[in-house]
Amino acid sequence: MVSLVAVESLPRLIIIGGGMAGSRLAHDLMATEAGYQVTLISEEAQVGYNRIMLSALLAKEIDAKDMPLVDIQGMREKGLEVVAGDAAANIDTHRRLVVLASGRELQYDKLVFATGSRASILPIDGSKASNVIGFRNWQDTQVLSELPSTAHVSVIGGGLLGLEAAVGLAKKGHPVTVYHRSGWILNRQLDEAAAKMLQAQLEKYGVTFRLGQTPEKFKCNAVGKVIAILGKDHIQPADLVVMAAGITPEIELAKAAGITTNKAIIVDAQLRTSHDDVYAIGECCEFESQTFGLVAPIWDQLKVLLKTLGKTPSVFTIEAVPTKLKVSGVNVFSVGRIVADEEDQEICYTDVATDHYRKLLINGDQLVGAILYGNVADGSWYFQLIQNKTNVSSMLDTLIFGEAYCPQDVA
Amino acid sequence: MSASAVKTTCPYCGVGCGVNLSSRASNRVVPPVSGDKSHPANFGRLCVKGSSLAETITPKGRLLQPMINNKTVTWEAATDAISAKIKQVTEEFGPDAFAFYLSGQILTEDYYVANKLAKGFIGTANVDTNSRLCMASAVVGYKRAFGSDTVPCSYEDLELCDLLIMVGSNAAWTHPVLFQRISAAKAKRPDMKIVVIDPRRTATCDIADLHLSLKPGTDAAIFSYLLQDSAHEHLLDAEFVCTHTEGFDQALAQAEQSTPTLEATADFCGLAADSLLQLRDWWRSTPKTVTFYSQGVNQSSSGVDKCNAIINCHLATGRLGKVGAGPFSITGQPNAMGGREVGGLANQLAAHMDFATPGAIDLVQRFWQAPNMATENGLKAVDMFNAIEAGDIKVLWIMATNPMVSLPNTAQVKRALEKCELVIVSDYKMGTDTSAFADILLPATGWSEKDGTVTNSERRLSRQRGLLPPAGEAKHDWQAICDVATKLGFGEAFNFKGPHEIFAEHAALSGFENDGKRDFDISAFESITKQEYDALVPVQWPVNKANPQGTARMFTDKRFFTPSGKARFVPITPALPKQLPNDEYPFTLNTGRVRDQWHTMTRTGDAASLSRHLAQPFIEIHPEDAQSQGIKDKTLVKVFSPYGRALLKAKVTDAVAKGSVFVPIHWTQQFSNASIVSALIPSEVDPLSGQPESKHARVTLEPFKQVKYGSIVSEVPLDLSDCLYWCAVTSDHGYRYEVVWPTEMPIKAFKDRFARLLPKTAQWVEYTNPHNQQIRLAGVTKDRLKLVVYISDNPMVATTDWLTSMLAPKQTLTEMDRMALLVGTPANVEDKGEIVCACFQVGTKQINQAVEGGARSPEALGKTLKCGTNCGSCIPELKTLIASNKETAV
Repeated sequence: MVSLVAVESLPRLIIIGGGMAGSRLAHDLMATEAGYQVTLISEEAQVGYNRIMLSALLAKEIDAKDMPLVDIQGMREKGLEVVAGDAAANIDTHRRLVVLASGRELQYDKLVFATGSRASILPIDGSKASNVIGFRNWQDTQVLSELPSTAHVSVIGGGLLGLEAAVGLAKKGHPVTVYHRSGWILNRQLDEAAAKMLQAQLEKYGVTFRLGQTPEKFKCNAVGKVIAILGKDHIQPADLVVMAAGITPEIELAKAAGITTNKAIIVDAQLRTSHDDVYAIGECCEFESQTFGLVAPIWDQLKVLLKTLGKTPSVFTIEAVPTKLKVSGVNVFSVGRIVADEEDQEICYTDVATDHYRKLLINGDQLVGAILYGNVADGSWYFQLIQNKTNVSSMLDTLIFGEAYCPQDVA
Repeated sequence: MSASAVKTTCPYCGVGCGVNLSSRASNRVVPPVSGDKSHPANFGRLCVKGSSLAETITPKGRLLQPMINNKTVTWEAATDAISAKIKQVTEEFGPDAFAFYLSGQILTEDYYVANKLAKGFIGTANVDTNSRLCMASAVVGYKRAFGSDTVPCSYEDLELCDLLIMVGSNAAWTHPVLFQRISAAKAKRPDMKIVVIDPRRTATCDIADLHLSLKPGTDAAIFSYLLQDSAHEHLLDAEFVCTHTEGFDQALAQAEQSTPTLEATADFCGLAADSLLQLRDWWRSTPKTVTFYSQGVNQSSSGVDKCNAIINCHLATGRLGKVGAGPFSITGQPNAMGGREVGGLANQLAAHMDFATPGAIDLVQRFWQAPNMATENGLKAVDMFNAIEAGDIKVLWIMATNPMVSLPNTAQVKRALEKCELVIVSDYKMGTDTSAFADILLPATGWSEKDGTVTNSERRLSRQRGLLPPAGEAKHDWQAICDVATKLGFGEAFNFKGPHEIFAEHAALSGFENDGKRDFDISAFESITKQEYDALVPVQWPVNKANPQGTARMFTDKRFFTPSGKARFVPITPALPKQLPNDEYPFTLNTGRVRDQWHTMTRTGDAASLSRHLAQPFIEIHPEDAQSQGIKDKTLVKVFSPYGRALLKAKVTDAVAKGSVFVPIHWTQQFSNASIVSALIPSEVDPLSGQPESKHARVTLEPFKQVKYGSIVSEVPLDLSDCLYWCAVTSDHGYRYEVVWPTEMPIKAFKDRFARLLPKTAQWVEYTNPHNQQIRLAGVTKDRLKLVVYISDNPMVATTDWLTSMLAPKQTLTEMDRMALLVGTPANVEDKGEIVCACFQVGTKQINQAVEGGARSPEALGKTLKCGTNCGSCIPELKTLIASNKETAV
């Protein structure tokens, strides 16, 4: 059954996914009066919140009213249709139909996948237990919030998300252990020296680290709940396990619809998928073999998609993106290359006593990577130098000391 | 202290400037000084060294008690030991087993009693002085020509002449106040011509109309040529030559033979013929000529002949004894002239009398009532140290000088001092390169405490006044000598109540049976009272019944002090320096001074502001030579001569000629481990004056490869003996060093090297940058700086004023300060660059900026930055910066 919601004759645009990418796209389409009848479909009951703030919410540094990313109510009043708590279950690209879990069918002229991703669940014995969760959505946060503060939590993964979860939990008073496969945390964003400084800081918050280790087994009790983590040479009691060992793009729906996927839904520089009038943005898309987990490139995608939908030529390109760890009291900044190539030169500054560390990677006359710990005030300036491909050869003597020590006219 | 006591004189160069204290000295602190407007030497001007005098008054490193073999003793014990040893060696080996080695730094009164004790009472003429290194050749030159050691001119002649020929003088840096007077005169009368004769292009050339960059040591040929040209061009003052001189024909004949033509002379001197032609034309057309000469002439194996070549020209043309004319020797030291006046040189007796002067020994013996008169010349400096090494001199009393640094062939000086049975060193400083060899150390008063008279280069006596009481147990040198004299049994002749009594006796001797026979006569002061002495105003000798107000100009009566009363021409054969370059040692080494240091830095080395102009010793090398030797600017260079070795930073500049290098004389082992230039200098001396050829050596150069250059700032003094090279740079707080390490060292090794110097609580702030091969470390405890080390493969001199200021007590560090420690400047503070104007601390970067901003003259720069508006000694450098800026702008 086809429900003809359309009033007037505006083309119908459906966004699948009410996360940050989807809700922001809806917002921008409404704000720019792009000429579409827009429907936003959200699996979650909560639509349009800022996922980045979840760890702060967990740590009770903010509360629910600080969470919205966009004003859903205001958008509704302008004519946006929001379908919340009802997931898209099926797509028929021939008939241009989206079938919801509830059985409802929606007709589209344009379809945008913004299905995001879910936490990767490592294939560890016991990982299917009910107290092994991700830290991806408001629901996960809810579960963690309700946990008694004496409960021991193990976090699998010492990446950005895992650390944010670990700190949030530690601040709530939980004993927290972080397992991380690499020799140092944030190994994709930081070098060892910066990571060690960060680790020391997080240890002060009460987080314990097991580095270079992956759990071998989650030991479950009779009711199928994890009670301990078994490692090579240790047993770590656990009341809850948070999986933060990476994300898996949510592409099942697209795959089933016959849309070309690899790690994620493959898009071109205009964010078009293999099918006409079907687009994908955010964590669920793949461009030039890359997937996306940080917000900055997704906002870029959004701008390109808006133009594509408006028939204005536009091209998405991948830019270096700076990383900042969203943990209050900890300043980490990293952008570009982390590990020096053979031709790169590393400039380093370390002030152990004040937890101040900087490393810059230089290739030829360009800055290609920067890691800052402690004082990150110059981070955006370095980012700018990398983005603009600024010739820094005349600044190499003082570059690491920041913008204040470098000739203003050069940057 | 009376009001007049706040006027004194500067203890540096031979200009002898008057100094005013802004208020009375108290609590061992001398207030900032200014120039004395009423003093005829400087009329209120002071150079940067003089301006910084108050900064040099520091208890740091003062010798406060007598010491025997490094143990503190009483004066009683020290003088007992000295007198006993003098008695023993003179009884056993004769009076010549004792020697004084004195200094142009001591006052006339000190000099007088030393000379009297040695020549009249111990009975030896082994009294020589570091003035031997400075102007001994000028003395002999004058004596040969005039029969007396008489400087004929006054400073005002430098301003009143129409042609000023400056020979071997970088007055801009060595006699800055005279240079300022000359510059001002030239500015007022642009027609006045100034010629500089110097192998190097120095700051003095800045005001010159003509610079003759002659081959080292060939000066005499120029004047030999001018003499014969004057004769042929009928420039002679025939009446004067005929009536008042003798020996002209022989001198002319020799000049014609030695320098027959302009071309031959130019060729000998390595000059372009047209530049010599220009000088000749100005010489021909300008009767009011002053020839102003200094160490560049004197420090030569033919220094006396050079002086006489100059004097010959002035005699021939009658250019002396007149306003704005004369041969004018300028001395280096504040009281070189005073030493000459008392006879404090081995080849003088007393009061401008020589042993050879008929009747002089008898005259002086009667005046002194001396029991043991010396009867012939003693040993001049170089010979004296040879005699010490030979064991002939067994007791040596060194006073206020540093022969381990200043005498040539340092290795020989060291052997001599080690051999000597008793070395007594009187100094106001504890650690000097020479005091390391002392058996007995006597604490002397220094400037601000010493009280007496000095004579400057224009024969002007001035009072140097005691501003502070002696520090610790320090005594005036004259007191120490009188104490020893008394213990030797000569108490009656050395029973002086104060310096005024010594001065009165000295004045009386100068007039004793003089009757106009001797030039030096200050008999007007023979009965001077303490009050009169304390109120003495500067006056030029002779001061006697005939000239109670003193004498500005000598020989106005055309009467000389030779037996005939006539001036003498001396035939001159221009001679080259003794040790010319060869295949093994292909470079000619020249030596000299830098603007802001004095002698061996025992005083100026204490003033941080004076270290900013040139912080390290260096060797100037011509760019083409640098290239052929593989030497880069600012890198460390090994310099070898047949006599020794030195390590110096290269300064590549075309101010020196190809084949020549230049090294400043000041740095001692207290400031740098291996930069003593006299270690390279041969002991060649002028046969007549005994003055060493300190401005000439042959050397070879070798670059260092694979070394690390470092700058260090530390709260505590450091032992840097593991470094290839180190140089201590005086700073306001803490200690600053420039170093070179021999090998590649990883950062950890550097951290370990310095970690043991730091308290356990200290932590490192560190920075590595492979781009410029830099490693920088700061050792910090909590928020206090302890140590900063900058290391690089490339030579560099960090601008570290801000860094050392962070060592100031109570200076705490912010997080950004900690980062700035490794930059060298706080982010919001201007980096001044190298300091050019020491008075107002204005640096190259500021100046360049102001020039770009339109300040295209020193005056304009002075208005914007104040640079050059006080002492003005940086004006030549300001002009250079303006000029180089214009070049780059084009």
